Amino acid sequence: MSDQVTTPKTAENGAAPAAEGAPPAEMLLVRRPGSAELDPGKARARRRTLEIVLGIAVPLVLILWWQLAVQQKWIDARIYPAPQTILEDGWQRLVDGKLWPDIWATLKRVVPGFLLGSLAGYVVGLLTGSMPLVRAALEPMLDALYVVPKLALLPIFLLIFGLGETPQIVLVAVTVFFLIWIQTMAAVLAVPEGYREAATVFGANRWQMYRHILIPASLPPVVVGLRLASGMAVLVIVASEGLASPNNDGLGYLIFNAKNIFDNRAMYVGIIVVAIVGVLFSELVRYIGRLLTPWAPDRRGPGGA
Amino acid sequence: MLPAPAAPDAAHAASGIKIHAVDVERHFGRGAKRVDALGPLDLDIRTGEFCCIVGPSGCGKSTFLRIVAGLVKPTAGRVEIAARSAHPAAMVFQDYGISPWKSVLANVRFGLDIQGVPRKEADARARDWLKRLKLADFADAYPAALSGGMRQRVSIARALAVEPEILLMDEPFAALDAQLRTILQDELLEICQADRRTVLFVTHSLEEALLLGDRVLVMSSRPGRVIAERVPPFPRPRTGAVRTSPEFAEMQGELWALLRGEVETAAESAGAQK
Repeated sequence: MSDQVTTPKTAENGAAPAAEGAPPAEMLLVRRPGSAELDPGKARARRRTLEIVLGIAVPLVLILWWQLAVQQKWIDARIYPAPQTILEDGWQRLVDGKLWPDIWATLKRVVPGFLLGSLAGYVVGLLTGSMPLVRAALEPMLDALYVVPKLALLPIFLLIFGLGETPQIVLVAVTVFFLIWIQTMAAVLAVPEGYREAATVFGANRWQMYRHILIPASLPPVVVGLRLASGMAVLVIVASEGLASPNNDGLGYLIFNAKNIFDNRAMYVGIIVVAIVGVLFSELVRYIGRLLTPWAPDRRGPGGA
Repeated sequence: MLPAPAAPDAAHAASGIKIHAVDVERHFGRGAKRVDALGPLDLDIRTGEFCCIVGPSGCGKSTFLRIVAGLVKPTAGRVEIAARSAHPAAMVFQDYGISPWKSVLANVRFGLDIQGVPRKEADARARDWLKRLKLADFADAYPAALSGGMRQRVSIARALAVEPEILLMDEPFAALDAQLRTILQDELLEICQADRRTVLFVTHSLEEALLLGDRVLVMSSRPGRVIAERVPPFPRPRTGAVRTSPEFAEMQGELWALLRGEVETAAESAGAQK
């Protein structure tokens, strides 16, 4: 990393400490290319490899530590089953085809809810962001609704929509809606005045202002909002399936039911599957976001720019 | 949101006056915080004239430009524009104002897209301007990949691509370094002499104003009024070489003597406010 080498002008063997009181010996400071400059390609590749290795190694070490702790009986295997046990159990369930119905049931709720909520949130966000009167009319009310814990609404949705899939989908949609609405409104309000002014001077009408300026300018922060919302959507669906799952299915039901029947291994399997589903969902949203905003720099460390 | 189209003024059009400003004033804020930014200002700009406005910071020169552009309304007085269309102007902003989400080509095509010019024709016209501003190789790049000078070229190409009746330039080169600024001044000189457009050009730089303008207006410190008017005696077509002529230096010195007092007043009043 260091690209500076100090060479004493007089002595060859390192910087000789100057004698007490004497003026320090003159140094020759040399700035010359380091490994990153001499072979940028290789240095970059090495850096990227290191990042990937770290990303995998840290959780792996923690898991191995856990495994060791169970085997050494430092922790109670009934409460903390060994990772190996969980993996074997999960694999068995996967092969037996017992996991897929739950994964599918959760996806069937979370994906439509996410799409519905983000679309509605985006449209309302654009309108409240760009029209002060619409903002004046809707913002106080939406703000008040925003602070209501969404899970507390589940009983109401169950009452309104009955016991089918609808309450779960609506719950996810409502959660996502507020996140995307606020993010979009803030993004539209933050669009620098200069962009709008250029369009105004050219005589842009309202639709052209949205199409050429407000929508593209607000997209990068909205994509960030979508990624946050994708995580929230998974969180909410798992909790709501734990509270009331229509057909006793879904990953949330799997986890909470396992806990009720003291099947701790199944509980951990459920949690790990939720994590995997969540990561894949969030990465998919990120990928789609990249496609939507090809001009925006990817903030994924030095590897991508 | 959009300014109503001004009725074309036959009398002005006949007399060759493109922009006619009468007692224009603009205040910002209310009560004790009220700031008189501009005016009263009376001004005539002829069709095809390159008019430069110089003045100290905060003298309202940009405000006047924005009033002509229809972005701000005057608080008193009026500006009459003899226009053939509802949106006769295009503007070049100091901080580029080009869209980072559009490719260079799409940025230059922006005004044409707004005006509903068919895509094929718009592309051809945009590419033509890219070529004139030496941007042809960057048509598909995003602005983030360009240097400051390139971005400002994109901004100029975007404004000129719509062939506006009036070109408004608000300190377009202020953010550039001195060398790049000289180069872009020379380029603009060449382009504007080729197609004699009505240009209103706001700048801090006397040198820029004398080089480019058919007429140079010097504005007072806030609230801005025209305190002097000079016609640079350099025949068209000019080149950047006039910068070195003795008349140029002399006029620059003369205008600076006028402006200096105003700049000092402006600096003092800005300091007093803090």
